[in-house]
Amino acid sequence: MTEPGQAKDFLSQMILIREFETIAEGLTLRGKVPGGMHNSSGQEAVAVGVMAALKDEDAIASTHRSHHHSIARGMSTQSMMAELFTKSTGCSRGRGGSMHLVDLSRNYFGGNGIVGAGVSIAMGLALGIHILKKNSIAVGFMGDGAINTGRTWESINMAVIWNLPLLIVIDNNQYAVETFMDRVTGGKDFVARAKSFGMSAEVIDGQNVEEVYEATARARERILAGEGPQLINAVTYRYFGHNVGEVGKYRTQEEISDWKSNKDPIDNWISNLLAKKMITEDEISEIRENAKLEIGKAVEFAEASPFPDTNTVADDVDSGSLLRQL
Amino acid sequence: MEEIFVPALGVSAENVYLQKWLKAPGDAVQPGEAIAIVETDKAELEITSNTAGIMGKHLFNEDTDVAVGITICVLLHEGETEN
Ligand SMILES: Cc1ncc(C[n+]2csc(CCOP(=O)(O)OP(=O)(O)O)c2C)c(N)n1
Ligand SMILES: [Mg+2]
Repeated sequence: MTEPGQAKDFLSQMILIREFETIAEGLTLRGKVPGGMHNSSGQEAVAVGVMAALKDEDAIASTHRSHHHSIARGMSTQSMMAELFTKSTGCSRGRGGSMHLVDLSRNYFGGNGIVGAGVSIAMGLALGIHILKKNSIAVGFMGDGAINTGRTWESINMAVIWNLPLLIVIDNNQYAVETFMDRVTGGKDFVARAKSFGMSAEVIDGQNVEEVYEATARARERILAGEGPQLINAVTYRYFGHNVGEVGKYRTQEEISDWKSNKDPIDNWISNLLAKKMITEDEISEIRENAKLEIGKAVEFAEASPFPDTNTVADDVDSGSLLRQL
Repeated sequence: MEEIFVPALGVSAENVYLQKWLKAPGDAVQPGEAIAIVETDKAELEITSNTAGIMGKHLFNEDTDVAVGITICVLLHEGETEN
């Protein structure tokens, strides 16, 4: 069992993510977030469990749905919110928006807009770790939609034949935009497919933060022991549409409310901790209050920050301008 | 109180055209009911409520442009009044 301090950290982080997404969703509908955003509500336990099992020296690449990964890796919610607003104080200086949350000081290579690219980027990071003989791993997140993408398996194949320190985590919310994974996945079994490439793989309950944490810790150990790439298929659910404002008719109301009321990662973790007397109602209220305060401050910071100066539009577009800043 | 506004969806224009109010101040509104029709440069869009309530004042007239994200009216819940 997780020790009490960490158990509360899991809860604080999941609640902080839920609060960030709830506020950011509303602001996006109000036109404050150019380009929109992908809401991760419902998937908090995958992000928090994985990140808690990683070390500072591990390198991570995310997907287009990355807010939960970013917060769980410890990114500043102010620099994230400012980036959503495309303000100059954002982590990508307002150039990237919601899909380009990144913090290299945390070895967090962040999100991107290409389905399956997190796997390829992480494979490259794992190759770097291997060449430099570091004692760490690279983690690539992917959605279930990336299970049928060529670059995913090209990257995994290379990681297997070179025995790279790579962990792939499928943030499997079961839908790619409007498409249910079973309808488009030959064999339907992600773990079997991964194993056929010669790697270890397992399916876990992505709504149980402790299970995610333990599976990640085990996989990390195996990788460091030289057992090669590992894959975790974490089954989860997204509560909102693919994009903010999407009106979805492809999932039934019964399905959505079943996940929300019976499998919610935050509610279930709270019940678990209360049953074990590891937390009090007062502590839970305080955690919720702190999350509200922090995200409130993040919004204030983003609102008050300036947009990038148009004279800087050509900065950062080629490696020369990046090198000149070093 | 629910604030009703034209949601920013994807890369829509900054302004939309308020074509028609479907509810008048004082009307009862059910969740999901259409309150107004707006036109973007691409399509006609119904603005709907999330909750049940009583319509407040129209904050914009028909046949005008309104900015995306700006409140166009409120729905009053039990015991609430408009200020
Ligand atoms: C190569 C590529 N193809 C298509 C798209 C358009 N697209 C963006 S997200 C998405 C669905 C991804 O689904 P999934 O991998 O399950 O992630 P989720 O959105 O569920 O988190 C698609 C098809 C894209 N961004 N990149
Ligand atoms: Mg998906």
